[in-house]
Amino acid sequence: MSKGYRQAPGSSSNKKRKDGKRTAGKQDFGVPGSGGSNPYSELQDIERIPASQGGQLEQPRGPHVHDPHITGQTIGKVTPLVDSRWKVTGQAEYGDDIRLPNELIGRILRSPHHYARIRSIDTSAAEALPGVRAVSTGMDSVNRFGVLPVTKDEHAMAQEKVRHVGDLVACVAAESEEIAIEALNHIHVDYEVLESIHDMEDGLLDNEDPIHDRGKYHIGESNVQKRVFQQFGHTEAMHEAPFQSKSDWTFAGLHHGFTEPHAVVAHWDPNGRLQLYTPQQVPHYVHRALSSVLDVPMHQINVIRTFVGGGFGGKSDPFPHEMCAAILAKKSGRPVRINFDREEVYWINRGRHPSRIQMEVFADEEGRIAGIETDALIDGGAFASFGHVTTYYNGVLHTSPYEIGGFHYTGARVWTNKPASGAMRGHGAVNSRCAVEVAIDEVCEQMGVDPMTFRLANLLPPHSRTITGFRITSTGMRECLDEVRKQSGWDEKFRKMPLGRGIGVGCGFFISGSGLPIHWDPENFPHATVHLQCDMDGGVTVHTGAADIGQGSDTAVAQAVSEVLALPLDMIRIRSRESDTAPVDLGSYSSRVTFMNCNAAIRAAIELRDKVLNAAWEITGYHPDSLVLGDRRIYYKRDPAIGVSWLQAVHKAQADTGSLISTGAYRTPPMGGVHKGAAAGLAPAYSFSAYVAEVEVDPETGFVRVIKAWAAHDCGKALNPLAVEGQIIGSCHMGMGQVLSEEMRYGRTGHLLNPDLLDYKIMSVHEMPEVVPIIVESNDPEGPFGAKEAGEGPLLPILPAVVNAIYDAVGVRVNELPVSPDRLYSTIEKQCRKLGIKDPLDLPNPSFEPSPLQNKLESRAEEHSHRDLQRDLLKDRSSYVNGVLFGFDPDRPLTEQSEGWRESVTPTPEDLADPKKRAARAWSHVERRHRGDDA
Amino acid sequence: MKTPPFRLHRPTTIEEAVSLAADLENRNQGFDWVSGGTDLLANYKWHINTKPHVISLASIEELTRHDRYHIGAMVRLHDLEQGPTHALLRKAAGTIASTLIRRSATVGGNLCLDTRCFWYNQTEDWRRSIEWCHKCDCDTEADCRVIPNQNTLCVATYQGDLAPCFMVLDATIHLAGSDGVRSMSIADFYALDGMTRNVLKPGEFVTHVSIPEESSDLNGDYQKLSLRESWDFPEAGVATAWKRDATGLSTLRIATTACESIPRIHTEQAQVGLANWNGESTAVEIADAIRKEVKPVNNTYFPPAYRRKMLRVLTKRALKGTWM
Repeated sequence: MSKGYRQAPGSSSNKKRKDGKRTAGKQDFGVPGSGGSNPYSELQDIERIPASQGGQLEQPRGPHVHDPHITGQTIGKVTPLVDSRWKVTGQAEYGDDIRLPNELIGRILRSPHHYARIRSIDTSAAEALPGVRAVSTGMDSVNRFGVLPVTKDEHAMAQEKVRHVGDLVACVAAESEEIAIEALNHIHVDYEVLESIHDMEDGLLDNEDPIHDRGKYHIGESNVQKRVFQQFGHTEAMHEAPFQSKSDWTFAGLHHGFTEPHAVVAHWDPNGRLQLYTPQQVPHYVHRALSSVLDVPMHQINVIRTFVGGGFGGKSDPFPHEMCAAILAKKSGRPVRINFDREEVYWINRGRHPSRIQMEVFADEEGRIAGIETDALIDGGAFASFGHVTTYYNGVLHTSPYEIGGFHYTGARVWTNKPASGAMRGHGAVNSRCAVEVAIDEVCEQMGVDPMTFRLANLLPPHSRTITGFRITSTGMRECLDEVRKQSGWDEKFRKMPLGRGIGVGCGFFISGSGLPIHWDPENFPHATVHLQCDMDGGVTVHTGAADIGQGSDTAVAQAVSEVLALPLDMIRIRSRESDTAPVDLGSYSSRVTFMNCNAAIRAAIELRDKVLNAAWEITGYHPDSLVLGDRRIYYKRDPAIGVSWLQAVHKAQADTGSLISTGAYRTPPMGGVHKGAAAGLAPAYSFSAYVAEVEVDPETGFVRVIKAWAAHDCGKALNPLAVEGQIIGSCHMGMGQVLSEEMRYGRTGHLLNPDLLDYKIMSVHEMPEVVPIIVESNDPEGPFGAKEAGEGPLLPILPAVVNAIYDAVGVRVNELPVSPDRLYSTIEKQCRKLGIKDPLDLPNPSFEPSPLQNKLESRAEEHSHRDLQRDLLKDRSSYVNGVLFGFDPDRPLTEQSEGWRESVTPTPEDLADPKKRAARAWSHVERRHRGDDA
Repeated sequence: MKTPPFRLHRPTTIEEAVSLAADLENRNQGFDWVSGGTDLLANYKWHINTKPHVISLASIEELTRHDRYHIGAMVRLHDLEQGPTHALLRKAAGTIASTLIRRSATVGGNLCLDTRCFWYNQTEDWRRSIEWCHKCDCDTEADCRVIPNQNTLCVATYQGDLAPCFMVLDATIHLAGSDGVRSMSIADFYALDGMTRNVLKPGEFVTHVSIPEESSDLNGDYQKLSLRESWDFPEAGVATAWKRDATGLSTLRIATTACESIPRIHTEQAQVGLANWNGESTAVEIADAIRKEVKPVNNTYFPPAYRRKMLRVLTKRALKGTWM
């Protein structure tokens, strides 16, 4: 066995000092990177190793394909994020911290008008100002870009028209901010003001001057950007169901409210390559957009992601100011930095869409959900952004977790002269989920059934298909509901508390990674790629493009590698910042990173491990199948005394090749239906959650205080319980903000009234209740070590839970978010008038009288619980599609079994007959290409 | 966005401050007073009515005097909350903004708080997009955006918490200026307009507030409406003070804030109520009367109709101590 490396020739081991100290000049060097006197820091934790691998950890839902790679190192353990020390000591460099020598400050001239045509721009006075180094207008950036390839409708700066107050018109780079601002005041723009539209319903009408022109794909002459129709199941029968809830919701637009305003630094290096520093969730899209806007090949651009001070979806578009910085830097030949003020952050927006949603939920006499009919009109603001997808998500993401008899969805997204809406945590699913869950509560009220029981008796089982063809693998929905019911004391509290005190439940369902990547060809390329590199020091460098935006993706990927290789976390180094060194990754959106990147990382780590194990085989003579990886050591499984250190094996493996390299990739399996839009909402796995909220309502003022929330989320497997709990609590805070106080408020002139953090009301610590995070692990068969997402799904259920709790407290249903005190109070006033009550303190409490259906549903829930367990353990392998609860045979097409069963994405005139449905009106227009006037 | 540059002056005595101001006045140089800076500097950042000179009162020792009946203008809100003054003032001070802001903000600053409005407390770019407003018109003679077609009155809202409390304690406010010192009842300090706000003359500033010793016998309460417990300015506020002796209620004062351009004391409603005092039912009558009396406009977070209704609830709650 090796004794390590000797420093000098002639050193002799028999003259070794006996007092343990080293002889000067003649000491043995330890093996490089051996960790000095404590090479084996921790023994592996046998309790974390699954029973299937000889440990004690039972997988309640059976074994997992990644079980053999569990070494007990970090998975499932509370792990502080690997970059947390950088942040808490203030050494993390965010966008605004980047200072390049000789930098210029860039500022942006913004439109003062909602909608106007630019007649001319005169920049000569600005250019003549001392200290101004570059001025740029739309002339310098004629190429379009946009996050989705199908809807590229943005430019770095306005071309012909400005589309909202704050739209970019021109930009300036100068020696100081003062000079830059002064220069903006010297740019003279001649506008022809056009008639702007602000109400989303006006966007449905034909218009002389639509905000965008989509050529032959333009829908009528309207401002409809996207429309969706989907009809599945028995949509005629559902209208005859005895229990119906119909509501018309208004949801205010929301901003992400992240701490760090946008900031960007652009620099063309001496070799003429663009270096762009930006806090981005999706550096790869910026990379692509820069390339097409600047007409520069991608290999001449290096996008460097700085630390990201919060994203939540708001930093996932390629942004015009990123292009502006690059253009100014090129013109001036110097680095240019642009930092946003807070109101600029609101003007670039990309927050949650203001929406009007008509929601109908039907239930039959068996206590089944006969159908859901949804009409969602969403306000996209001035640009498309992610809106194409959002329009689908508003419908398709509420086809689960319940088994439903029918699904009818009409959705439309319109342009208005407001800052653009986009993706925000819980993308597209949040608003309609709230409406569905509240409707279910109302239906239960009509039926005389406990909403908890009703939900438990209508869940889709594991390994099933939803009505539109999503593949459900693992689901912990039932366990989530059981846990919150037990821990919140639901049975003692529901409809039993005094006026002003209430409890409510809500569920959630969200994608864990998008099956169809936005900018990629899934047939040919993987969703995620990870490279590993291991050199003489034995540490492993991970190259990934996954963008850590604070959610902890660096930590998750490091954990995956550390787990497979049985190395402590500090031996794993993540390099995820630069597009020059990182493999292409599609970025941090749609909760894809843990699922896809960790899967890729596991594969890369297995490849690296096998190389090292083969080397260990050569040294020890034991076949890799009988070798075990412990903490920085590889040993024979029947006699741990026989083995080699990690380093020895690594060095052996490196003998001929030098540093060890491996690569891993992940691609989703083929799945889903074939209809138009089938890919929207399709994911390799789905997360489930159920929350209970307890509230206190002051009937005299309309103030709502959430006292406590019990939040159960099925994340498959908590790779890092600390991060999962953080996500659950953070989601609750964000969701409670939306339900109680946050809104982008537009005044009567259409101006955004609150583009600042004082009047955009994010909840303070005083309003934040205790949240009990409950982690449910359903052990997803395809997730890394069983994991699914935990970043977005946990936001969904808190909204309906609070709204349902308000009903329990004061007996009124609200259909407008946020439920600010003034809105709730006016609803309470109306209720008082209706009941002829003078003092709101005399309002009656809602009560609960169980009907005979209650018992029936309870026993069905019990049966289903048994069914789900069997399917979870793969003892029951029969196929299951949405419809089995209604008596269908899952192995034959449903359309064959029932005449009324439809699967359609093209509406007939009858489908759109209801004149009250808003989004349905978008279908009254004919696309230009179908009118023959596309010339 | 950076604060535009200004010259900061730091006088150490009241006399020096007064003469500095007079001097700038003579030279036609605009200036602002600053104490804690939590109101003024935020507005400066947004380029709202900025001036080339700012005179800080922070180094004037005399202004920090703080005892039971004398509260200097430079007393920090945090110290007022913790201090020896009347419990009503301590309660109200503790509800203002946030812990951090209270460490910096002062009593004088809170009393002289600039009035606020959705159309005014915005950045320069934003205000350009509405073509400015009456209160900060950038020499355009712009109209009021809250109530258009009237170019005479600014309806921005005064959102200070302390003023109504001082009013019901019958406090006296003391000012210093180049014409010497003067004092007045705090109710007379405020003048009806969102722009003038108060009776301070150019070059004049608040030195301190004094509370009569009889105020020790008063009980009081302050109730405010704000969406969040932290940070938010009040959307409506009611301060009450009363004295109860063997014969019953003998003194009753009520003042409101955050509903109009100035805080107001409602002497008439309180007197009528006191004359016919009958416990809770009278309190409700007073609350109704006050609700009718104040006329908020639509320029803060909550709609005016709601603020009026809540003023009724707050008044009722602030009077609860009179019968309970």
